Amino acid sequence: MTPGPARFLVLVAAIPAAIVVVGGLGFTVAQSLGLLPLVGPARLSVDAYTGVASELPSSIAVSVGIAVASTTLAVLVGGTAAVLIVAGGRLARVLIGLGAATVTVPHLIGAAAIGLLLADSGLLARTFQVPPTDWPSLVGGPWWVAVILEYAWKEAAFVALVVAGTLTTRVARFDETAAVLGANRATRLRLVLLPLAAPSVILTGAITFIYTLGSYEVAWLLGRTYPEPLSVMAVRLYGEVSLTTRPEAAAVAVVIVTLSTLVAAAAFTLLRRSAVWR
Amino acid sequence: MSVSLRSVPPPASAPRSPVRLQGDPGRPLTTSRGMSRMARQGLALLLIVWFALPLVPLVLWGLAEQWSFPARLPTEWGLGGVSSALAAGGAEAFARSLTLGLTVATIATPLGAVAARGLVNGWAPMPRTLTALLFSPLLIPAFVAALGTNILLLRAHVPPVMGLVLVLVAMAVPYTAFVLRTAYAAHDVGYEEEARTLGASRRRVLWQVHIPLLTPALARAAFLAFLVGWSDYIVTVFVGGGQVVTLPLVTASAASGVGNDAVVAVLSLAAILPPVVLLAVLANSRWRTEGAV
Repeated sequence: MTPGPARFLVLVAAIPAAIVVVGGLGFTVAQSLGLLPLVGPARLSVDAYTGVASELPSSIAVSVGIAVASTTLAVLVGGTAAVLIVAGGRLARVLIGLGAATVTVPHLIGAAAIGLLLADSGLLARTFQVPPTDWPSLVGGPWWVAVILEYAWKEAAFVALVVAGTLTTRVARFDETAAVLGANRATRLRLVLLPLAAPSVILTGAITFIYTLGSYEVAWLLGRTYPEPLSVMAVRLYGEVSLTTRPEAAAVAVVIVTLSTLVAAAAFTLLRRSAVWR
Repeated sequence: MSVSLRSVPPPASAPRSPVRLQGDPGRPLTTSRGMSRMARQGLALLLIVWFALPLVPLVLWGLAEQWSFPARLPTEWGLGGVSSALAAGGAEAFARSLTLGLTVATIATPLGAVAARGLVNGWAPMPRTLTALLFSPLLIPAFVAALGTNILLLRAHVPPVMGLVLVLVAMAVPYTAFVLRTAYAAHDVGYEEEARTLGASRRRVLWQVHIPLLTPALARAAFLAFLVGWSDYIVTVFVGGGQVVTLPLVTASAASGVGNDAVVAVLSLAAILPPVVLLAVLANSRWRTEGAV
């Protein structure tokens, strides 16, 4: 293929992303600023932002709290799994298989499964023979336990596979060399494994955080209605019939994108500082 | 300088000496042993339980005809959940999800290939901007993309189904482009040049040399793109405008109600199995030497 038509085809590949990102984001920002009213003249205003201002702090707190807890758990569990996978053996192969299967499960299906496991009439309550009145409210409770565990479960598998993938290609030689030079297990973990894993941990952690922050269905299915996470609030506002709520939904969406961009920028800065990032 | 073409037989491997030098543990230093080995295996078992546990209630409920509360196992086994799931439109939703996943994969894989090839070979105009644009859908939450694009598509009078495919393709291209960029970076155009020299047409080189060489990567990319369409919930709700009722939508409506546990389990299993089967096929196919999925 000559560069001429190939150059044109490359641009064709970017059309969907251009429509969705530039168009979608542009229309969201425009609508949040009152420039795309359903009826009446367009007028630049921040009414949509002031309209949701009273609910925003608690929603941001809930969303960021869920994202921080899920990401921390996912990185800890997934990182541990990656170290065990790299060590090899029969159990490591089982872990790889289970991890790969978990990654393919849709989040909504994961939420349904976690619900059947953790609800007051769920499998765990039945296994331990706890009556519903004594069972902690994990689903729809004040601490968002089921929501956090669903994200942590799915994303831990993702973290494990990516981190193990980057470690297997590079760690063996360094690890052996350090062992020959007399480094014990803890020292090798601290000075060889963790620095080598750092870039992929930062990357997968940031992806998990951003995904969790903007995801809707898990928090909607397993969470409670007040205070609402940002995404649940935006979807509810979008679905309401009143004319003022659509710009408000767009305003909440803009807040989520701003937070995601900040996290992505922070992750990128961290990546560039980590020693082995090329 | 003379070059010897005579092949040198490999040296016969010396029999392993049973005599150990002082301080030689007799196994690689990095292999764990004793307490450390037990701790490692215990931890691995715990993690296996962590990953497998959420799937257990799905299997049990899927095979339960009746399961009254305090009982640890179903009180009556059976396939009642399957018939209820079929009555809830499970089969039609399954077919729609399959079609959606395959459509997204069919469009996003060649688009990803074209983008990856252009970026690797340096044909792409403004490569940095293009890369940023191609990967930017990953940064934007699905529902934000759906919400904004929905307004745009409605104003442009694009049919909901086309809009749905467009948004999902945009969300899948980052994955296909990423997988295929790695593949193209390692791809040797020498084979294609040789085939051209031997008189093959461009079309023939594409179908008989280029695509076969990239099949493993294309399969992995298509699998990831399929997953984007297969798993989606919120874009289908928003942009699909209620016209495309997929498996996640049917599962969501069953799961948000009360007392549908068996139906939810059957629908969930139906949503989990196809990707896992595809994954197993990919992992065990003749391409596996190229690396696991």
